[in-house]
Amino acid sequence: MNEELDSQLSAMFDDELAPEECELLARRLSRDEQLKSRWGRYAVIGAAIRSERGVSLNPPLAGRVSAVILAEPALSGSATAHGARRGGMRWWQPVAGAAMAAGVAAVSILWLRTQGPLSGATLSAQLTPPTAVPTGVEASAPGAPASYVVPRSPAVRAVLVPSTTLANYVVAHSMVSSPVARRNLLSSLMTSESTNVASEAIRAAEDPHDVQSNLP
Amino acid sequence: MGADASDLSLVRRVQRGDKGAFDALVLKYQHKLVKLVMRYVRNPAEAEDIAQEAFIKAYRALPQFRGDSAFYTWLYRIAINTAKNAVVSRDRSPIEYELDRGNEESYDMQSRMKDAETPEGLVLTDEIRSTVNAAIDALPEDLRTAIVLRELEGLSYEEIAAAMSCPVGTVRSRIFRAREAIDRRLREVFEGGLGRAEEIG
Repeated sequence: MNEELDSQLSAMFDDELAPEECELLARRLSRDEQLKSRWGRYAVIGAAIRSERGVSLNPPLAGRVSAVILAEPALSGSATAHGARRGGMRWWQPVAGAAMAAGVAAVSILWLRTQGPLSGATLSAQLTPPTAVPTGVEASAPGAPASYVVPRSPAVRAVLVPSTTLANYVVAHSMVSSPVARRNLLSSLMTSESTNVASEAIRAAEDPHDVQSNLP
Repeated sequence: MGADASDLSLVRRVQRGDKGAFDALVLKYQHKLVKLVMRYVRNPAEAEDIAQEAFIKAYRALPQFRGDSAFYTWLYRIAINTAKNAVVSRDRSPIEYELDRGNEESYDMQSRMKDAETPEGLVLTDEIRSTVNAAIDALPEDLRTAIVLRELEGLSYEEIAAAMSCPVGTVRSRIFRAREAIDRRLREVFEGGLGRAEEIG
């Protein structure tokens, strides 16, 4: 037993040892029976100085508690279970998450719909009828095989980003909402915007030069 | 130094599954806890039983201990509640009372056997106390003052350093040397009866 170690033990007993040193010594104390015995005698000395009753060098209490604790499961498992319980989801958490996601989606859609011209153009980019497209392709490349090309105009491209954002919100909403709520959301979007979509599609079909002039 | 750092380091070890660290906490606080419980029950054997129950409750509740308060404060509350419950349950337990009354002789025998303050126990306690006191008297004055201020008055090393006009490191060294001298004397007198703590754990 070295003196420095015993000196540290004495200081630790008095709560006067630096925390990092306590960590190291606690590890040793829990395993070294001689050190533990000395630690126990420091407690006896203190109790004797304070003239406490029933002071014994070998109090049966510590042995009895130790015997009971030995039969108990180690606490690391309990601590893990406690952590898992804290990390696990409670019954209301999915519901709250779904409600929050639905709220965010609804607010986002309302916001997007209040953005004026963007709203109609957004849907026109997605729903432009294919009849308008081959005209543009034929005009640019005569003799080329007819292919299905979506005309790209700066006006349309500019509104693709909000369209994607909107789609993302709808997808996010659909992941947590019920099928009925999902259908309601989509059908309300479709019906409210159908007038704008139709007019955009008709305009594009009637004026191919307008589409062509918008190609990059 | 970090207040309660030593207890906290032991507590953290227990929380990680090291049961040996809990022995150290029991060894440190068993006398204090029995003394505390003795405020509620007069029978020392009963006080020991309650203290034992309190320690076991504390062990089981340790995963919930976050270190917001000092470990002893937390343990103290558990012991007080356990003692209060024990007193209430004893006072409201007619069956136990009847049994006690019906088996007075057996109860007395059990009680005597469990009683820590048997004549032999009291003699041992007195012997320990007188040995410790004799060892303290034999100490150089600076060591004696340091250990008494620490153990009897409960002063911190810093407060003792201020009282004795010396550095904190000197106080630490003096208290350690005083303990070593007393411990050596105890082991000389009670050689053979001091190894029990080594069986724990």
